[in-house]
Amino acid sequence: MNPVSPRPGTTGAAVPQVDVRGPRFGAWLTTFVLAAALLAGAGWLVAAQAVVFAVGAFAGLRYAPYGVLFRALVAPRLGPVREREPEAPPRFAQLIGLLFAVVGAAGYLLGAPVLGAVATGLALVAALLNAATGFCLGCELYLIVRRAQTARTV
Amino acid sequence: MLAAALVLAAVAAWWLRTRDGAIGTPRKGAVVGELAVMRELGARPEDADLTVVQFSTAFCGPCRATRARLHQLQTTRPGLAYLHVDAESHLEAVRALDVRRTPTLFYLDRSGTVIGRSSGAPRPDELAALVDAHTGVQS
Repeated sequence: MNPVSPRPGTTGAAVPQVDVRGPRFGAWLTTFVLAAALLAGAGWLVAAQAVVFAVGAFAGLRYAPYGVLFRALVAPRLGPVREREPEAPPRFAQLIGLLFAVVGAAGYLLGAPVLGAVATGLALVAALLNAATGFCLGCELYLIVRRAQTARTV
Repeated sequence: MLAAALVLAAVAAWWLRTRDGAIGTPRKGAVVGELAVMRELGARPEDADLTVVQFSTAFCGPCRATRARLHQLQTTRPGLAYLHVDAESHLEAVRALDVRRTPTLFYLDRSGTVIGRSSGAPRPDELAALVDAHTGVQS
């Protein structure tokens, strides 16, 4: 299995699936962590969230800390899995979250608190939208990124 | 700052809800070119009452649900044709049709006219109503 970006449809390999409630739970937790970081102006908290995003984006959602928490503590209380989804969309969202969290943490920790607050605030908006409405970051951004990439290389 | 982020999230949620899946009429002007692009992708509008062309990517959860819904509609509406396009492997078409988000759907009638376009997962009732209006099924 290609660890970087499994693409359903292009390979015959089984696509990793996750319980749809897992990423939603993770998004709520992310929302609270980022809100606390904003209130306290705590760069280290944003950096911790960046690490959480990085594990989810690069190692896969199986190993994402909030995913582990969900499976260990929340899922057993919720009843059986009703719906699964491919992990690629939420994993892409983790990658975008990572970009914002890295900028946010760097802003706070390197003495640019306004930059830190703005980047953290945008990450918070995305996480809250995801948690509350199931907002799909990959739907909005992935194609635009791909279009821009090829426009540059052509 | 936190308050600003919360307000921004609320506004974005409202905006997405009004925009997502709304089936709009296509822009005038590029109609002939659009049909040619979709023919190249394999659309054959003359073979069906209504042809739906869907652009998806692997990073789009709602695309899967929309695809399943259209497959399901197809089982009871023989006049409905459905073409699924992986946007990533057809970036030329994506650019020609100005597809920016996924899923984006195009609706073609038998004459090949693009009668509608929507982006974001379409609302189930609206989608079924549009399909029924063009495939002659009374629901």
